[in-house]
Amino acid sequence: MSADAPKRVAFIAHCLLNQNAKVEGGAKRPGMWEPVIELLRERGYTIRQMPCPELAFGGARRFWGVREQFDTPIYRRHCRRLAKLVAAVIAQHAAAGDDVVLIGIDSSPMMGIDFTPSAPHWSGKPDIVEDDSTLVRGDGIFVEELKAELAERGLPEPRSTGIRHWFADYDPDEELERLGALLR
Amino acid sequence: MIDPRSRRIAVVADSLLEPVLDELSADGFGVIQLPPADLEPETVAAWLEQTAEHVAEFRRNDYEVVLVDDGVHQPELERALAALGVPPLPQYAIQPPSTSRLMPET
Repeated sequence: MSADAPKRVAFIAHCLLNQNAKVEGGAKRPGMWEPVIELLRERGYTIRQMPCPELAFGGARRFWGVREQFDTPIYRRHCRRLAKLVAAVIAQHAAAGDDVVLIGIDSSPMMGIDFTPSAPHWSGKPDIVEDDSTLVRGDGIFVEELKAELAERGLPEPRSTGIRHWFADYDPDEELERLGALLR
Repeated sequence: MIDPRSRRIAVVADSLLEPVLDELSADGFGVIQLPPADLEPETVAAWLEQTAEHVAEFRRNDYEVVLVDDGVHQPELERALAALGVPPLPQYAIQPPSTSRLMPET
């Protein structure tokens, strides 16, 4: 990007800076998820906010969903359009020699890094009383498309981790330790 | 399920993000970041296009959306918003420092 000294840059899921983008019922805070933002600032990271694929496609009043519902060609094309933008920004940082990391959301069908929600039986009338989805290993659909776009551009995958604040056994101390290791 | 979202969003120039983050966080704003100044023009255009799409969706659902701008991308942002039928965003009033800091010590 510029001729300045290499920077440390964190590409973060949109909702970490904007909880209003969460699906209704999914926000944890009024505006931002401060634990991540504060840690990035403490460590001197430049923040790059990624778009929210779910908000952009399904809107602010979308229903909850799982990976299988979104894994369609048109949704993947939508994600690839957004991924091309993110990859173009990563490419400029990579060309400048910057250290790039990626922070997603491990309860998201789009932004999952190590986990993503799955429920192959979800369909039809949206009246699921109890959330019986499970978290399975793997990337969310947007993250898959982003990695594919980076590979096509010959760019390496950034180091990455996912925020797990919607996990039933969420442990803030474990998360801070894992983030700390990422932001070395 | 309790959802504490503020329904208040600030679209913030990259150059102003760090200086206003604490204030916006304290006021409960979520943030949409505008592109940094040194991106390629086509990347800036794509970034502003998706920003406008997010803003249009929030405005369609009656979220408050304000602008914390340095003017770098203002014409392009306004064009991207206008393409989706969204008028220019109102400016967020950055709070001045407490006047108590300006009082002489006694």
